[in-house]
Amino acid sequence: MPQTIERDGALSFTVTAGSGDRPVLLVHGFGSNYAMNWEAPGWPWALRAAADRIIGVDVRGHGASAKPHDPASYAPEALVGDLVAVLDAVDAAQVDVVGYSMGARLTWELAVRHPERVRRAVLGGFGPRPLTEDDPDAFVAAIAFAAQLPGNDIEALRACAKGQAAHPFDAAAGVPTAPLLFVAAEGDGLADGVEDLAAGGAGGAGSEVVRLPGRDHRTAVSAQAFKRAAVEFLSG
Amino acid sequence: MNQPNTGPQQPSNTTTFTLPDLGEGLVEATVLTWLVAPGEQVVRNQPLVEVETTKSAVEIPSPHAGTVAALHAEEGAVLAVGADLVTFEVAGAPAAGIVGTVPVDDAKPQRRVRLRPPDEG
Repeated sequence: MPQTIERDGALSFTVTAGSGDRPVLLVHGFGSNYAMNWEAPGWPWALRAAADRIIGVDVRGHGASAKPHDPASYAPEALVGDLVAVLDAVDAAQVDVVGYSMGARLTWELAVRHPERVRRAVLGGFGPRPLTEDDPDAFVAAIAFAAQLPGNDIEALRACAKGQAAHPFDAAAGVPTAPLLFVAAEGDGLADGVEDLAAGGAGGAGSEVVRLPGRDHRTAVSAQAFKRAAVEFLSG
Repeated sequence: MNQPNTGPQQPSNTTTFTLPDLGEGLVEATVLTWLVAPGEQVVRNQPLVEVETTKSAVEIPSPHAGTVAALHAEEGAVLAVGADLVTFEVAGAPAAGIVGTVPVDDAKPQRRVRLRPPDEG
């Protein structure tokens, strides 16, 4: 059952039973939520070999969490603070993290700002070229697609996109010390340049990139090759 | 390993699972990848197939334990909600070696499937 904590409004998360010795935090993509991004594509089942507790959060503006309409509420610092608050709430001192798309960017930020909390991280559907209002077509298209998904609040999503675009991703600002694995569909435009990012020292001595043939940004999430790569990496 | 084929005397040993309602008003889905094959034994909640809708990609878990008898769609096929997906033999599987009757729970033909495992919390 989802639980909530108060952090500038309700923050919703789900935690499975288990000893908590090997917790995995799952951070979903823009316009999605924990259930849609991770549960429905079968991730809890897939991760049973690599995790004994799964912590799934609804990022602010999504799912059952609060949906403020001011972009400042969605600064990466605030969203990362939400993730830390959830980890604190479930007494998870250190976790493995799997993030997808926007969630991968937040995972990177979490690992940079709170390196002691992240053991290993898998970043899916993510590259160094941030989605910004400089690319209005892609920006508007992402919001329009997300807006038609059930339960979404388009004003909150617009604020979420703007709030993060105001702080564009910048690998030069800090690189995680935790080992990283990058996974993306072949031809996923949102992951353009991920090979360069991985080769540039992210995660130490060069990170692996797994590309998924025959998939796109949306269908990559359920791919068995993605899950196998994540399980293998997190079992290391 | 397999128990003798009991044939048409016990038609309830075979049950066909249809594409469940995926919610959100979706009426069809495209088969992306089969995760099981005919002859394979599956446990309840084991992923059977990945399907893609206009909104997302999801895995459909098995509603019961049994042996996969037939898959009813090719990868790439578009299926309507309610179309045949998988036929299972539910007798004698998967607990090979245990003598007894099939649990009634596993034989309900109209079982509705959840798109995610039961809440473990």
